[in-house]
Amino acid sequence: MARGDSIETDLQKSPLLPERPDPVAAFEAERAKVTAQRRVYNAVFFVGTLILFIWSFSVGEIFGGEIGNDPLGRMLTFLDKMTPDLEPSALMAGAETPGSISNWYYGMPLWGPALLETVQMAVFATVLGTALSIPAALLCSRNLIPYAPLRGIVRRTLEAIRTLPDVIVAMILVAAFGIGPLAGVITIVLSTVGRLGKLFSEINENADMRQLEGIRSSGGSWWDQIRYGLFPQVAPGYASYAMLKFEGNISAAAALGIVGAGGIGIELSRAITYIQFTDYLAILLMMTVLIFAIDITSEAIRHRLIGVKVATA
Amino acid sequence: MTTIEGDYLANAERIMHRAVHPSLVKRAQSWGSLVALLLVMGWIAVDLELTPETFLKGITRLGGFFASMWPPNDGGDLSRIMHALAQTFAMAFAGTAVAAIVSVPLGLLGAKTIVSLPPLHFAVRRVFDFFRGIPVLVWALILVSAFGMGPFGGVIALALADIPVLSKLYAEAFENIDPKQREGLKASGAGPIASLRYATLPQVLPVMASQGLFYLESNFRNAAVLGIVGAGGIGFELEERIKMFAFDQVVFIIVLYMICVAVLDTISGRLRSNLIN
Repeated sequence: MARGDSIETDLQKSPLLPERPDPVAAFEAERAKVTAQRRVYNAVFFVGTLILFIWSFSVGEIFGGEIGNDPLGRMLTFLDKMTPDLEPSALMAGAETPGSISNWYYGMPLWGPALLETVQMAVFATVLGTALSIPAALLCSRNLIPYAPLRGIVRRTLEAIRTLPDVIVAMILVAAFGIGPLAGVITIVLSTVGRLGKLFSEINENADMRQLEGIRSSGGSWWDQIRYGLFPQVAPGYASYAMLKFEGNISAAAALGIVGAGGIGIELSRAITYIQFTDYLAILLMMTVLIFAIDITSEAIRHRLIGVKVATA
Repeated sequence: MTTIEGDYLANAERIMHRAVHPSLVKRAQSWGSLVALLLVMGWIAVDLELTPETFLKGITRLGGFFASMWPPNDGGDLSRIMHALAQTFAMAFAGTAVAAIVSVPLGLLGAKTIVSLPPLHFAVRRVFDFFRGIPVLVWALILVSAFGMGPFGGVIALALADIPVLSKLYAEAFENIDPKQREGLKASGAGPIASLRYATLPQVLPVMASQGLFYLESNFRNAAVLGIVGAGGIGFELEERIKMFAFDQVVFIIVLYMICVAVLDTISGRLRSNLIN
């Protein structure tokens, strides 16, 4: 035993000094307390989640319910019904031959224009929505508009637009504007302004103010500052966000048709009303391929805009 | 004074001539693309018959809707509306739960660090990308026609719409694991189960749970679409009242729904920031 140790123990035992708790024991006690607390917390959390699970699964009729006791089997039967009976030998034959692709896609004269309509809706609404987002964003950027109440009003309006689910907006607009693409276009314009207005104003607020100040100091008007100081800085960011929103707008335009807002969705809901199983898959494939193709193209454009070098995955 | 400024400007223009006077080609390009864009917009407007008359007529009717919105009321059916809201939340929760559970193995498959087979990894990722494009409304429409009216189709629709995105996010979570913790445990003699429990899960679970919560929020917001195609819940109540032009009740339901969405967002936001920190 080293000399120092014995001194230490002597000191600890000395009645003159206050009792010092063993640090290891103190740590262990603290640890036990924290662990116990954590256990209780975790148990409560776990039981709560479990109750939510069971409740939501029973409300969602995951087990039993009216769909019968074999959801997986039903899904497979449905998939089987959706798949067309293609004949390998007659794939490229005319529409009259059963088993050919053109027989499966017999509705192309209707579906093609509907798909084009979807793209048109998305393009029109994205361009218009982006154009409207630019002034909206200017009006609620802290560094450009010194008048707070105006910014507040614009900001709250954009927030209100963002909270409403697109489909609800579309349903109300279909009731007002009638069935057709106009209701869909207005819905998408609104959702574009709600999203892009906010994102654009964030870009504006991150812009370098020195360029605007330079123009002001040489006598430029407010508009000159915006036009020559702000826009050249923010344009790539704007364009990139607009492309990103365009991707979302394509799938929104495809889906909104289901509530009557124009585009390929109308054809899908028609096929479902008339229980044309193979048509579902045909239209769904057209939709998905369109969305996928636009996603890929737009991603490539966006990466070029913001100057990212993409490694090929 | 003027001469100094004039000299200064002349000097600046001499240096930065191209900036002040863009070349004719460049100007033609920017004006040309603007004109082309306007032409495309005009063509679409004509083709889709987006005329000012139909727009104005719709706006007038919309004004009528707004006028009939006041005072918002529950139409004497508050318990049914509350029940529909609860059902909507249940569908959102069940759908997110199913998606989160299914996404774990799929995420493992899509993670570069776990499946070290580039073609398989590439294929899995592309399949996620492809299915990500199908909107939840489309899934719901198809599944409700497969399973009949009722929430089951809605739950599966939400799950199917989330699985591709969550799987991708989970795959990234697995890829971003810090290997040092696992190596440390291995060095001190831990087996594979211990290293999963003490090195992998503590890193991955909070990220996965927080992404799950994020999707719960978004699913609750989007679950209104499910009712429209017959999966029940708040969307069904809304659609019914929109078709009857009972806009006072529509506003009541929308406001109530948005309050519930805000409450859920707040709770889940708290939980998420607890998880991440």
